[in-house]
Amino acid sequence: MTTISLRIEFGGGLELLFSNEKRHTLTLPSMVSFDNNSKISADALSGVNLKPADVEYLVFYLRDHLLQERPELFIEGKTVRPGILVLINDTDWELEGEGEYVLQNNDEIVFISTLHGG
Amino acid sequence: MVSESCGNPSVETEAIMSRRPKYDKSKFCIKCKLNSGAIIVRHAVYCKECFPALLSSKVKRILEPQINPNPELSRKKSLKASGNLLVGFSGGLGSTVLLDLISRIYLSHRTEIKKEEGVNKSRGGKDHPRNEPVWKMVSVCYVEVASGFPGMTDKTQKIHQLLQENYESLEFIPIRLENAFDLSWWNKVGGKAALDANTDLTSDELFVSTALNSPNSDSVQKLRSYISALPTHTAIESAIHTLIRILLLYTARSTQSSHLLLGTSLTSISIKLISSISQGGGFSVREEAQEEWNPDSKGAVRLIRPLQEITLKECSMWAWWNDLLVVGQEKYLRDKDGIEALTKEFIIGLERDYPSTVSTIARTCAKLTPKVDAAGLCILCERPLQPGVQEWKSQISMRATKEPSPPSHSSDPSSVLHSLTSYLCYSCHTTLSSRSSKGVSRNSANTSLPLPVWASTHMQGLLVDVPITDMQPNLKEADEEIWLTHKVNPDEMKVAIGEFLLE
Repeated sequence: MTTISLRIEFGGGLELLFSNEKRHTLTLPSMVSFDNNSKISADALSGVNLKPADVEYLVFYLRDHLLQERPELFIEGKTVRPGILVLINDTDWELEGEGEYVLQNNDEIVFISTLHGG
Repeated sequence: MVSESCGNPSVETEAIMSRRPKYDKSKFCIKCKLNSGAIIVRHAVYCKECFPALLSSKVKRILEPQINPNPELSRKKSLKASGNLLVGFSGGLGSTVLLDLISRIYLSHRTEIKKEEGVNKSRGGKDHPRNEPVWKMVSVCYVEVASGFPGMTDKTQKIHQLLQENYESLEFIPIRLENAFDLSWWNKVGGKAALDANTDLTSDELFVSTALNSPNSDSVQKLRSYISALPTHTAIESAIHTLIRILLLYTARSTQSSHLLLGTSLTSISIKLISSISQGGGFSVREEAQEEWNPDSKGAVRLIRPLQEITLKECSMWAWWNDLLVVGQEKYLRDKDGIEALTKEFIIGLERDYPSTVSTIARTCAKLTPKVDAAGLCILCERPLQPGVQEWKSQISMRATKEPSPPSHSSDPSSVLHSLTSYLCYSCHTTLSSRSSKGVSRNSANTSLPLPVWASTHMQGLLVDVPITDMQPNLKEADEEIWLTHKVNPDEMKVAIGEFLLE
């Protein structure tokens, strides 16, 4: 099974939800469960519908594996909470298809909260 | 042809309106048309290289027409303010971005500024008259609110450090929220001596009592008393915004500043407009964007919000791409308490899906003007006071059934009682007299609200020439009809309708 290595960064105060750590490195499988279930084992994957790992899956993965508290401040429905900007390789994710962007090896994904005071 | 679809999205997927694409035309930068886009701003695509010019042009568009004392028709005329500049800094994202942009655009020629690349390169050399500084002196003012909320962290030191590292030539002026109740601060900024005044919030008349020698003159205590007396969380938010704004304005005047800049973004302005209008602030909708403040004609200060066409998203990207450290603002109320917090949640959600709508709020409000002229200024927020506030309120809302009577409490012979109501704008009166929907006053133990020093001074000034008529009617010419109305008590009512009662 191929994997994808990713660099994740949090800004604007969002790092407070992720052990106060701004930078993380992750390895994700290139094919994941269609329903964004990141807790499913590699063997069980063959029995479910798959999709290429995309940003939508990444958001669920982060919630399930890295987020320490208050998931409602990070995720809402199937996407990030309003007020959180996402950059894919220094580019607004709205230009890359948002949650549908298929992750590539060595991609850098940044999550910035705009709600840190004002 | 009659449509056969029922339009119910849970039955027909086509009934859901298709999402409008997030950007118009192509992914290339709309400005240079060469580079690949990096950010979408309200459906327009910009590359990272063209983004700085976009922001600086938006700032200049708002600020520059307001710099010279008189409106300048010729664009070639140089920019020269009549006084100094004060930048309000809260530590939040907007303030941080504002200070960065202002220093790049207007202060980059100053040799002490550390920024090496200015957005605006000075042509003709440093000493060319064209490059003369717009403002002689620039200061940054921070208002610390921590004293009002036990447990909150004081960030003055942290902010001072941040400013010293990045803007060492700018004077740092730290002030505190409790200065609003501090006579020595008031004297320092040129305020006239004010009596200690307290308002009773138990009735809509908002009776004020004054005392020459107040037993409690600690400004922190008064601030906490002020906050605890306010009836709702919404009222607390509004009241604190007002205190901060007025403190900054008086500080601007005391530094001979002709301009006060605040880092309110387009998103924040839209939030404030909706939130303010919902609390009765419609009369001062224009002042939310910009105001010319000169309450006692001692020198005007122009309060301008140069980021008012820049969204929170753009501010965030600017801060990220330029590695700006945002200290952040600690919330003094719990999440989701108060109208402003709810409005913020709504607007932030709206901005993600319908970004143009948020700018429409600000643009529409900018087109509004009140139908009638102001009848002076509100003594609390110093914004235009609309006439007829109490008449309007008496028509639309339930009033207290008990005849309001001045509280008889003080044995101090110098204590004088007046009603504050006619000196407040609709919004401030609502803030002080609102009732929690939960039916129980937030802190019913404390209903005595100390007045900020400026409000007390204004009230004294307004009462000096007016004899205390209390509840007496104004007697006009002898031959004019005088109508005197009074509330009918139950016995009188029985006499009036007695013959119609079935015994």
